[in-house]
Amino acid sequence: MADEDGSFVDFEQIDFLRDRHVKFFQRCLQVLPERYSSLETSRLTIVFFALSGLDVLDALDVVNKPSLTEWIYSLQVLPTDDQSNLGRCGFRGSSHIGVPYSTKGPGCPHPFDSAHVAMTYTGLASLIILGDDLSRVNKQACLAGLKALQLEDGSFYAVPEGSENDMRFVYCAACICYMLNDWTGMDVKKAIDYIRRSMSYDNGIGQGAGLESHGGSTFCAIAALCLMGKLEEVFPKRELDRIRRWCIMRQQNGFHGRPNKPVDTCYSFWVGATLELLDVFRYTNFEKNRNYILSTQDRLVGGFAKWPDSHPDPLHAYFGICGLSLIGESNLRRVHPALNISDRALEHMQQLHRTWRDTLHCSSAICLKTS
Amino acid sequence: TCSLPFKTLGGVENMKCGGFMSVLTDLVSNPAYCGFRDRKEWADLEPVPQDDGPNPVVKIAYSDKFTDVFDYFRALLKKDEKSERALALTTEAIELNAANYTVWHYRRVLLQALQKDLREEMRYITAIIEDQPKNYQVWHHRRMVVEWLNDPSEELDFIAEILSQDNKNYHAWQHRQWVIQEYKLWDGELDYVEELLEEDVRNNSAWNQRHFVVSHTSGYSDPSVLEQEVQYTLKQIKKAPHNESAWNYLKGILQDRGLSSHPGLLEQVLELKETHCSPYLIAFLVDLYEDMLESMDGGQGQEEPLSKALVLCELLARETDTIRKEYWRYVARSLQTRFGSGDPSVPTVETEPQTTPASD
Repeated sequence: MADEDGSFVDFEQIDFLRDRHVKFFQRCLQVLPERYSSLETSRLTIVFFALSGLDVLDALDVVNKPSLTEWIYSLQVLPTDDQSNLGRCGFRGSSHIGVPYSTKGPGCPHPFDSAHVAMTYTGLASLIILGDDLSRVNKQACLAGLKALQLEDGSFYAVPEGSENDMRFVYCAACICYMLNDWTGMDVKKAIDYIRRSMSYDNGIGQGAGLESHGGSTFCAIAALCLMGKLEEVFPKRELDRIRRWCIMRQQNGFHGRPNKPVDTCYSFWVGATLELLDVFRYTNFEKNRNYILSTQDRLVGGFAKWPDSHPDPLHAYFGICGLSLIGESNLRRVHPALNISDRALEHMQQLHRTWRDTLHCSSAICLKTS
Repeated sequence: TCSLPFKTLGGVENMKCGGFMSVLTDLVSNPAYCGFRDRKEWADLEPVPQDDGPNPVVKIAYSDKFTDVFDYFRALLKKDEKSERALALTTEAIELNAANYTVWHYRRVLLQALQKDLREEMRYITAIIEDQPKNYQVWHHRRMVVEWLNDPSEELDFIAEILSQDNKNYHAWQHRQWVIQEYKLWDGELDYVEELLEEDVRNNSAWNQRHFVVSHTSGYSDPSVLEQEVQYTLKQIKKAPHNESAWNYLKGILQDRGLSSHPGLLEQVLELKETHCSPYLIAFLVDLYEDMLESMDGGQGQEEPLSKALVLCELLARETDTIRKEYWRYVARSLQTRFGSGDPSVPTVETEPQTTPASD
């Protein structure tokens, strides 16, 4: 196949190997070697990458949905009999604490068992992707657990025992409220204030006030505001234009996360999705972006890496695929740029929300009738 | 203590000539591991295995040693035991997986309950961070110990050492900003920033730190400070013109006062354009002209800065910053719409939606 100037284009190097990636995610869901031990406490996020990845690839048929659903529910931290642990409820990242396997309540009292905000987020998202109706999720407990994590400055801890606090967890919190369709889980005003204060002099957004602006935290901030429906309320047009400029300058061929840093496949999503939310993604160079992402594709093993000729991992595999989805790569489902799940999964979530609303109306109508 | 090796590699069965040698060398390089299961001092504790139910997902294949350490860790957790052996076990668990935040939390509980020497803990966490400087948990742990000791005296030197290995490590910079702000250690930080910028004028983290220090000390409202910073930045730009960080800093400190309000700036930048041009310089000029147009507020004389800005946008699109050509044409259209006279003879640029280069 010849290109414009007549030279032979090595087509093999730039094609998307869909089936390899399906197999890559399938393998992730099975067994990982011990060198992945640092991922133990966040195994649920790996499940999310694999499931959402397969969803975008339209290959969810290869997974055993019922057994995956059970395993995810076994990670829910439910209220104990005396409800004394409500501030610790949500989802765990894995069974690493040693609580006995259980997919239903009441919760088992344990001095150190508590949820992690990123696991509650990815747990709920994974259930939605699997088509679950969230009927076994104790939503009030999740929201109580979330409330317990918010600090005075508006940001969030990851766990009630304390941890670092930054924009990542603000985003996770926003996703949780959005999926549960309930914003009582956070003080939105304080969260918005934290976001505003995290904007840097260079118009990108850092992990917190004063910190260097970064593609990841910029995504977290903008996506959180979009989920809250507050983007234009918080940033007037002049500021949005400045943020657009900072983001669009991240494209080098692929994207990097900070000025003068090397590009990395995952920023094709973090920055790409932010640009999409700001309605200027279409002004980026799709071809250079695509070529970079595909240069990091592992042709043997499947998946994507941050750089060419590097080892693939579930995170970069997932965000590489999402990056391609943003540019409209054929045979990939579209990804909702704020919630980071496929349009199909989003549709299921919206249907669930309609059902919840209707159930609420029915029950209040009954109350009116009988009163 | 143990009567049998916990595990031999190669196996006793492998007794062929070469096999025997490999069993020997295996035993030498991997001395028999004596698990907690076989240690007398741990006999009172019932190990707690991980339970993933009938269909485990993303199962990590742990070695027997790994499983052993964590089975006993889980047992201690359940009991909420407060003892020296528990502290020792957290050290082993951290060695195997320093990203397990529960182990770190439990360790902190023990450090307090057992009234351990926190100076020793500082030495410990220093070594761990040196080894794994991109781990969230280790930095959080260090912060907690510094807070307990209420002693930040080692921090700036330590962080500088970490930054000497990777001068953009976000965790290191975050910890540095926390220490400086919490303990008011602003003195000398601007000098440190300048040292780093001397080494690498493109270090965006260092530029960010410059803004952090100046904004929290003198601030930028003092005109002599502002001018000093502007001149410093222009000097760095002359040394390395193609440097987004320097241009972002220049724009950042001036944009809220209005780029076009700073006397002489337009002239200085136009001069630089001849010898030290870059996409960032041209973009800066576009922004400056935009600011000029905004402050004119629809009054007289808008045509000149507008046409200058539009010409520069086209220069960026066609020549200096082609990867963003669609964006610069969008910027031009916006300027035209906002500040243009609405003259239908003025050409506007139309764009077609991009099609993805086909993969099939």
